[in-house]
Amino acid sequence: MLPATSKNRFLHPNTGSWHRYMAVPALVLFSLFFLYPLSRGVWTSFTAWDGFSTPKFIGLANYKAFFQDSRALRDIQNTVLFALGSAPLLNIAGLLLALLLNRTFKARATVRSLLYLPAVISPMIMGSIWYLLLQPRRGLLAILLQQIGYEATSNWMLSGSSAMLVIVLVNVWQYAGMTMIIYLAGLQAIPIEHFEAAELEGASRGNIFRFIVLPQLTPALKINVITNIIGSLAVFDAILALTDGGPGYDTESLSIYIMRMSYGNKTGYSTAVALILFFIILVPVLFSLKFFNAKEKT
Amino acid sequence: MKKKTYLGKLSVLITMLVVVLLPLGAQGAKATQTDISYFSGRVETVEWDTQQVENFEKLNPTIKVEYEFQKDASNVIKVKLASGQVPDVTTVVTQDFIDNGLFMDLSDQPFWDRILPSVKDLCTDLKTGKQYKVATNITMGGLFYNKQIFKELGLKDAQNWKEFVANLEAVKKAYPNKTPLFLGGKDSWTLGHLIEFWAHGVAKQQLGIPGSRQAFLDNAVRWDAPNGIMENFAKALLELRDKHLINSDAITATYDNQKEAFASGEAVMINQGMWVVGDIIKLNPKMETNIGFGPFPSVVAGLKPMVLSSEDSVYAVSATTKSPDAVLTFLDYLFQPEVQKSFSETRGIPSAFVDVDANWSPIKDDATRLVNSYVNINFSTEAPSGLSVDDTGRLIQKLLHGDYASPAQFAKEYQKIWDSAYATSN
Repeated sequence: MLPATSKNRFLHPNTGSWHRYMAVPALVLFSLFFLYPLSRGVWTSFTAWDGFSTPKFIGLANYKAFFQDSRALRDIQNTVLFALGSAPLLNIAGLLLALLLNRTFKARATVRSLLYLPAVISPMIMGSIWYLLLQPRRGLLAILLQQIGYEATSNWMLSGSSAMLVIVLVNVWQYAGMTMIIYLAGLQAIPIEHFEAAELEGASRGNIFRFIVLPQLTPALKINVITNIIGSLAVFDAILALTDGGPGYDTESLSIYIMRMSYGNKTGYSTAVALILFFIILVPVLFSLKFFNAKEKT
Repeated sequence: MKKKTYLGKLSVLITMLVVVLLPLGAQGAKATQTDISYFSGRVETVEWDTQQVENFEKLNPTIKVEYEFQKDASNVIKVKLASGQVPDVTTVVTQDFIDNGLFMDLSDQPFWDRILPSVKDLCTDLKTGKQYKVATNITMGGLFYNKQIFKELGLKDAQNWKEFVANLEAVKKAYPNKTPLFLGGKDSWTLGHLIEFWAHGVAKQQLGIPGSRQAFLDNAVRWDAPNGIMENFAKALLELRDKHLINSDAITATYDNQKEAFASGEAVMINQGMWVVGDIIKLNPKMETNIGFGPFPSVVAGLKPMVLSSEDSVYAVSATTKSPDAVLTFLDYLFQPEVQKSFSETRGIPSAFVDVDANWSPIKDDATRLVNSYVNINFSTEAPSGLSVDDTGRLIQKLLHGDYASPAQFAKEYQKIWDSAYATSN
């Protein structure tokens, strides 16, 4: 054994406690760009602040005001409604597309790319394009219908529910490709032997899906469900481009409300709403995580 | 020989010192350069501003202007202010910013002698009597109409609401396929301008410009008064809707649709500001000689027709600028008559400088006629800054959608959002 000289310590360092120091840069960055803004945000939510004058501490008044504001409560309803429509549809559409495209056929790669393509386009641009297509009376669809002699008298944008349905469908159209890619990756990770063994045992397609595919897709399902819940509850661009939250505030989401309150000189209040939205998203995400973790263990 | 060596060493040393010190000298020269920031939200003058900054820097090589344009400038500046970055020069000015002491007092600047007194009045802060902003132009808003159709049907500027409705009905009767008055309500600010022009205009006519500015500051106007301004305004709009004198897709059509409809002849009238003229001519150059410009009638009986004639193209200087001299040199350059002439022609709006004669728009003659014939109203710069035309436009979306039980309820709702914005600002 070599004596513990300084040269030896350099060549063979005792790295037992070094790992702690290696985490320091990451911790500094995390504190600087996450913990500090978060704590500032929490503090700001307890103030009346317009964004440029001196903030005034008002305790929980912003939170109370939120639950007394009928527009804010309707925005929660809109946001949850959108998420309830969008998240399941995205998963169903993504899974169906993944199952279809997991088979071998000509131009499979091209079809996969085409289906994924909308996901890489900005939702604002996508929303604007869809508005040009679907705009009541003046959109491409309305003009084509007129040319074949059908005058569309109803205006989907005038009713909050029909406008919301269009927003959900456009959102599903845009992001189904992304969900599909994750499911495809999950499907391709299932060993082929499992399918072969099931076929040898005479398992039906339904049973193969239920007892082989679905359990092994749990990790992909977990990622998709959680990301779709987060994305849907924080929906912003698609609504802004398609309806701008209108008519009135009938399709406004909580994210848009936060932006408008902030720009309406209510920075303190909008920060409080942002924290409320954080918890609105956190609850279903934690619930889903718990559910899927339990599934994975079994 | 020894002396020679010594001299040689000395010359090498001097050469080295010169080589080392030269860049330092250059750095010293660089240190005299002054950087100023110029923040603008005017989309239509981005090229013009860029060009002028370039010209200014050529004339003033020691001053560097960092020009920044933001489409959503009124909101972006709030983010800048929140992080303590007040631009040296900005085109975004609100009463709140003035109240918070963000801007420099420009009252003693020599350029005021060249600016129209009415514009100087509109630039004067009512609370202090000082000028913290300077406007270089005037903008106007009113009803743009298809001259040819108006002439053909023998229509003239409506002097009251009844005549206005009669004009629209005459258009509807003669041209059932055309839209008498086109609204682009998906872009809710266009509807918000209806309140700004037609409703706030009534208060401004009733109280006078200084009186209404003070009343707005003091929250002294009762918008929800029974049979008051807002109730009459709502009744008027509902009358247009019920008589099919506005487009059936008034809530879902966009500002672009509005311009296209007017340019193509589908729409006979639109309520807009002068900024729309250039786009209409771009869409249909034949419209250059066919755009008429008229006043809007009062929605409350017994008052005169009005035209918006307000200060435009505003500049303010940061109260904490580190380079006030450089900033004022930049403003002096921008305010030169030939520079302002080109600005006026680029924006298509008249100059507020008395020594600038520009060919700013094909509606120049109509605009002069309107200013001289009708009641001039200003923009509601003293309204609470948290109350945007976007918010007020949404109330009209709901009104046209039939969400309010009565015009009185609409008036109450308007009062509510006004009061809420006022409470936030004060």
